[in-house]
Amino acid sequence: MSDQSTAEEPWPVRVVSQKIGAWIGRLGWVWVDGQIAQITRRPGTQVVFITLRDPSADLSLTVTAHRDVLDTGAPNLSEGARVLLHAKPEFFPARGTLSLRADEIRQLGIGELLARLERLKKLLAAEGLFDPRRKRRPPFLPGRIGLVTGRASAAERDVLTNARRRWPAVDFRVINVAVQGPAAVPQILDALAVLEKDPEVDVIILARGGGSVEDLLPFSDEALCRAVFACRTPVITAIGHETDTPLVDFVADVRASTPTDAAKRAVPDLVEERQRIGQLRGRIDRAVVGLLDREQHRLDAIRSRPVLARPEALLDQRAADVQALRERAARCLRHRLERGAADVDHTLARLRALSPKATLARGYAIVQAADGAVLREPEQVREGDPLRVRLAGGELAATVAVP
Amino acid sequence: MTDLSYEAARAELATIVEKLEAGGTTLEESLALWERGEQLADVCQRWLDGARTRLDAARERRAEPDGNG
Repeated sequence: MSDQSTAEEPWPVRVVSQKIGAWIGRLGWVWVDGQIAQITRRPGTQVVFITLRDPSADLSLTVTAHRDVLDTGAPNLSEGARVLLHAKPEFFPARGTLSLRADEIRQLGIGELLARLERLKKLLAAEGLFDPRRKRRPPFLPGRIGLVTGRASAAERDVLTNARRRWPAVDFRVINVAVQGPAAVPQILDALAVLEKDPEVDVIILARGGGSVEDLLPFSDEALCRAVFACRTPVITAIGHETDTPLVDFVADVRASTPTDAAKRAVPDLVEERQRIGQLRGRIDRAVVGLLDREQHRLDAIRSRPVLARPEALLDQRAADVQALRERAARCLRHRLERGAADVDHTLARLRALSPKATLARGYAIVQAADGAVLREPEQVREGDPLRVRLAGGELAATVAVP
Repeated sequence: MTDLSYEAARAELATIVEKLEAGGTTLEESLALWERGEQLADVCQRWLDGARTRLDAARERRAEPDGNG
């Protein structure tokens, strides 16, 4: 038999079967982490059949183990338990089936599981899944909210009631899932995928009520955390009570403490918003009125400035100037007149002083010839000539007589 | 004059007042400046009055439809 099968030289089934068995055997012993989906103890045999599933994925394998292996390593094993087993794949040519044969089984206690979670938490943190900068803000008023929660649960009721109370017109798309147990993670992953694809859903709420540590384990599942991180739609988580901290809470874009709180974060309160708008309106009003008042005051102030309010002032000044000049002119003229008058008086006094009246008053007479010439020398006249004699008190006529 | 904005009118009014207060202008100029200043002040006042009217009208419209604003 050659190494390659061909159409001309095909291999018989037994050869194929044997080769498959050899391939499978090559995997060898492996340590496996899984979850018990089913345990079947067939009466009359020592072999226990276990269906071992992946908590995060929808697949499983059959595991066989001797009864003693179970009794030693994992007494009281029940469905849903997480186990660690040491096993080797086996291929059964007769039926062509595959199973793992375990020679060691350990049940993971809560302590071990929690320690695992701590390690996972550090890993995810180091990868940046908890980074606050990567968190997306939910929209202020979502068009549609995707809600992933247990059917008819208190969480579902709380989210819907409170959201509708705050914003009556809110629209929800609800997907009910198992929120604990083996089916939870795959169902939640599916729900997230569906909502993420829905273009109208712009925020997702993942909510469940309180429960034991085991009950909340699905919400610390690695695949779930990575799926929430990968969601482009913002995710609000509200898992358990305030004190519970499943890992998905760290990955979420918003962590709400309860389903009611999630509704508060997702949707604004209509009454509050109306009040805010009223307040803002009031502020706008006051601002505008204030502006107008200020401008009016400024205008009034400018208008009351004297140059505008009393333009007569321009004229007053000039009128005053003109008046002053007038008065100066008048003063000058008066001055001149007064000086003139004084002059005249002066001259009159001098004239008076020169007047012969005073001399006449002293007893002198003025003698004039017929032609009016004033006589000073006797030779100016002849005997018999008429003379005019002026005295202080009057006139005399006289004739010249020689002495 | 009427297509002057409020700010333009106010600015020019302030300039005119400064000029008048500084003095040194002829009588003719002073009177002309004063007249223009009065016109500009009237324009400003009309703007302010118009703004108040618009505000009051908007408030009335707002109060009508739902009665509580």
